[in-house]
Amino acid sequence: MRINSKGLAKDLGRIVGQEYVFNDAPTNLVYAKDVMPYDLEEHNLPYAVVRPGDSGQVAEVLRYANQREIPVHTHGSGTSLVGLARPKARGIVLDTARFQDIAIYPERGYFEAGAGVHLAKLRKALAPYRALLPVFPGSEPVATIGGAIAVNTSAHAVDSALGKPGDYVLGLEVVLPSGEVIETGTHSLRRPAGVELTKFMVGSEGVFGIITRVRMRLAPLPATTNIVATFSKTEDILAVVMEMYRRGISPPMFFEYLDESSARIGYSAVGLPEPAGAVAIITMHSDNSVGCRDKSERFLEFLKEADPIDAKILGPGLEWDQIWGSRAEAGNYVYRQGSTFGSEVTPRVDKLLDAFIDTKDFILNLESYAGPQFISFGHIGAPTLHGYAFIPTKDIPSQVKKAITLEVRQKSENINIKYGGCGGEWGLTAQRIDFLKARYQPAYYQLLLNLKKALDPTNILNRGNLEGWL
Amino acid sequence: MSARQADLKSALLAEVAKCRACRFCVDVCPTYQVSAGVEALSSYGRIQIIKHLLMGVLELDEGLTYALYTCLQCRRCENVCKSKGQNIEICEVIHNARAFLAPNYQKGGGRDS
Repeated sequence: MRINSKGLAKDLGRIVGQEYVFNDAPTNLVYAKDVMPYDLEEHNLPYAVVRPGDSGQVAEVLRYANQREIPVHTHGSGTSLVGLARPKARGIVLDTARFQDIAIYPERGYFEAGAGVHLAKLRKALAPYRALLPVFPGSEPVATIGGAIAVNTSAHAVDSALGKPGDYVLGLEVVLPSGEVIETGTHSLRRPAGVELTKFMVGSEGVFGIITRVRMRLAPLPATTNIVATFSKTEDILAVVMEMYRRGISPPMFFEYLDESSARIGYSAVGLPEPAGAVAIITMHSDNSVGCRDKSERFLEFLKEADPIDAKILGPGLEWDQIWGSRAEAGNYVYRQGSTFGSEVTPRVDKLLDAFIDTKDFILNLESYAGPQFISFGHIGAPTLHGYAFIPTKDIPSQVKKAITLEVRQKSENINIKYGGCGGEWGLTAQRIDFLKARYQPAYYQLLLNLKKALDPTNILNRGNLEGWL
Repeated sequence: MSARQADLKSALLAEVAKCRACRFCVDVCPTYQVSAGVEALSSYGRIQIIKHLLMGVLELDEGLTYALYTCLQCRRCENVCKSKGQNIEICEVIHNARAFLAPNYQKGGGRDS
């Protein structure tokens, strides 16, 4: 279907105001581009970008698009690492950037935020209330709360310690593809039992509706203490995590690791001396500092049973900031030296070591590119391990990059299937239709398509993400 | 294309290839801020525009000219890029891209191309 871009922009301008509609080439291009290492193709480029100011305008845009069967791709900050942010069909990009209101109600026990609020801004707003924002992606300064809830991403957080972000969501405002605005959930801290649509929309990656407002409970900020431990090899850290769960030890809120290579790069990036091996970076949490200190000391003793090279408790301060920074920056500094192709492997916890060995094996033996290096880091307490194929050049043709990306995705998903995992952080649907078909029964994927058809019969929202288009 | 221009193009392509599209530089860009948040008028946007112009995906028009010439060369984005590991010489890239693309510039400006 050919769309007249100028006519479309004019029509959209009548809904949101002309100053909030763009159809120029640069704007269309930069909204389509994402972190995916391969180039954009023509079908990724939108005809127009629109920035509605309230849910009523979103509804009108969707009604307009529905009548004309024009795809609408929702854009938060575009920071998805796995293709979710790239439109798969030409149409309208709907940017939630104008949804910037924050309302904090301590007397009600919750806060509300517009979908476009950046996580860092929200965390800052919550700080005076000593409230926890339970979402910790590396992209926090620019990622939006709408995107985080639409993906239900845990990122750094250990699920079994803090739960998923969706566990804190009390209700949502959602615009359906038909143009109806619905409210889900409750204003009470007692979350609904039984059939309730909040859980259905959280993590739906924008294929069933557009989240415009989020209500989450004000969870008290815990006291924290940090531990850093160096082990001679990564496998020792994996063994610690497996033993932690086997013994039923209360897990930390953060339990990160850097393998031997990424630890060297990360430590160098923040000005620390080269570590002697792989590094575990841990944050313990508790209601108060006394309990937290006690918990940390017991966890340190547990770590020492695994014979680390070094293990110590760290208070807040420069050294901890540097060590946490080394984890945060390791991926960026590895990328600086070449090209990286990442996986998200989340195995059954007793299979962590097996999954690590398999991940390393497939990355070192890629079919689409000979001789990549293996680098890994991740939220191992969760457990998530990110195995990366690192190639020390950026001079790789786009089609080869695409082939490597897809091979890494497919083979890491095979490991998830083999060891019972399903991801937990990246919002992989746009690249994992084969996984869904292989991991579950045929009825599972068909049910997803049926649900999509029931809510979005003209398939306008994020078209292609459930079909596996690139 | 002269040998000098070919070298400049290669150097520009190598530099923009460093951009990971993380978008951390978007919010700090003053022209992004005053444009009510148009990503094309941020450093990330300009890097992508230059890359796609050099690749031949985009053709230079008034909108693209406007995007490239509104950069203030304030280097705030470079601090962010450095802190995120990539350390791209963003302002130099934009400056050199202007020089490289100058023969093709469109007259005028504005984004209503």
